Amino acid sequence: MAAVLGGKRSKKRAAFHLLLSVTALWFFYPMIWMVMSSFKTNRKIFSEPFALPESLNFGRWAEAWQSGHLSRYAFNSVIVTSVTVLFVLFFASMAAYAFSKWRFKGGKLLLSLFIAGLFLPVQSYFIAQNELVAFLKLRDTHWALIVPYIAIGLPLAIFLLKAYIDTIPGEMTDSARMDGCKEWQIYSRIIIPVILPGLATVAIFTSLNAWNEFLLAILYIQDNAYKTIPAGLLTFSSRYVTDYSKLFSALSLVTIPMIAVYVLFSRHIIAGLTEGAIK
Amino acid sequence: MNSRKFSLVPYLFTAPALTVFALMVLLPLAMTVVYSFMDWKGYGAMTPVGLDNYARALADPIYLKSYRNVAVYIALTIVLEVAVGLAMAGLISARLRGAAYYRTAFFTPVMLPMVVVGYLWIFVYNPEFGLVNSLLRLAGLEAWTRVWLGDPKTALIAISIVSGWVFAGFYMTIFYMAIQRIPREIYETAYVDGVGEFRLFWKIKVPLIRGMIGVSLLLCIMGAFQGFDLFYIMTNGGPYHATEIVTTYLVKVVFQRMNVGYGAALAVILTLIVIVIGVLFSLLRRKERNELEY
Repeated sequence: MAAVLGGKRSKKRAAFHLLLSVTALWFFYPMIWMVMSSFKTNRKIFSEPFALPESLNFGRWAEAWQSGHLSRYAFNSVIVTSVTVLFVLFFASMAAYAFSKWRFKGGKLLLSLFIAGLFLPVQSYFIAQNELVAFLKLRDTHWALIVPYIAIGLPLAIFLLKAYIDTIPGEMTDSARMDGCKEWQIYSRIIIPVILPGLATVAIFTSLNAWNEFLLAILYIQDNAYKTIPAGLLTFSSRYVTDYSKLFSALSLVTIPMIAVYVLFSRHIIAGLTEGAIK
Repeated sequence: MNSRKFSLVPYLFTAPALTVFALMVLLPLAMTVVYSFMDWKGYGAMTPVGLDNYARALADPIYLKSYRNVAVYIALTIVLEVAVGLAMAGLISARLRGAAYYRTAFFTPVMLPMVVVGYLWIFVYNPEFGLVNSLLRLAGLEAWTRVWLGDPKTALIAISIVSGWVFAGFYMTIFYMAIQRIPREIYETAYVDGVGEFRLFWKIKVPLIRGMIGVSLLLCIMGAFQGFDLFYIMTNGGPYHATEIVTTYLVKVVFQRMNVGYGAALAVILTLIVIVIGVLFSLLRRKERNELEY
């Protein structure tokens, strides 16, 4: 009897694993196929789509990186993303401190403006924002993306960081104030160290959003020298429309480092991307 | 709490965030509303035209079609993202060794840039060497092969499937987290009584994460209205507007035809719809919560 039950259970377990493996194949095979195709010639891509590449020839990767300007796009993405993240962390943590630990005239209204910003789609304001970016002479500079990205990132950052600061007892800041601490010192020496995990979460989703953002990136930047990776890939692909092996190389070059980062920090990245949704 | 006497401190601390937010979100939002009552090409004279742009929008067959397409897209992604995500959450929350690896793996596409995903799937759908048609040929189903993204009948479905490929793992993860928060005692006894994983999932876990399923539906619907990247890259609204959604049309109207006033009206209508859905949803949630307390 026990043996029969055990057999049934292991059959069930096998079915579970089979289902999971098929799902995994569905998610990963397209990516594996992309990387394999990047090592093939255009002819082989057509004639033997499933075959393994004959050799790991990274030549096309190097070509895409240099002649395709991918290195330039990657540099721009690094600049735009890192500056955006720094400003969002700094501005949002300051505002969250004020909203959490101070009761001030207009404070509730201001906070509700930011909360409303959580639900406001970019489509609601990007037409006029485009005019403003032009008016401020930001077009075709890194700031054309950095400034809008900061603005878009702030609401969720403030909302999350305020929740973290709310957990710090008011007595802690009050007693520090009585000991003669300046507000700036309370913020930098008491608040910041406590909310470091929150700042990490904010940094993760802000950087991924900035890194992947596409709509504003194609509208506000026309100069190839300032394009970020998503907008640059668009230019790249219109230039090498039928050079499939080069296109696959470019896609692999963009994807593989991101997957490497994901493998290293998956726990934090998953938390960072879902925390905002759940709260 | 500092509240007795007036202090500049909180204002100084909120000033940087407020300045950027007001300048880049609130001000352009107000400007968009103003533009929507104007006839304006983005340069030259601005002529007030009252509600003309709105009247035109309501009679614009492509604009109306873009909402129909968004509705279809929402219906498809509720199945392909939320329902599939829920089923996957059921799989990985079963008592099984190795489930943690799958959990991490299935989330991978969520963090990839949509541009990369879009191009990758253009290739997957490529009529000549793409995976879909190659697989069909391999299976001897030559007759089923199609120009997936070039056929008005299949293009929208094809894009929705890509959307599902990206986001099913996201919904799986938030459902999984919700299931983890169910107190163990609740289903521990069911395990002891020998209730199977499948029944346990449907009868105990799913009802208990109802709230999170509601949130997910809202996220999915809101996300559909804001979709752009995949559509722009894979079809840019074509063929014959079969995949035209509000944002791809908006970009065409404003940045190709330079019809800023009209585009602004289209944007304002979209904003109002998103707000109405958000408010309706929060009312529904409140009602449900009250009923639960009863």
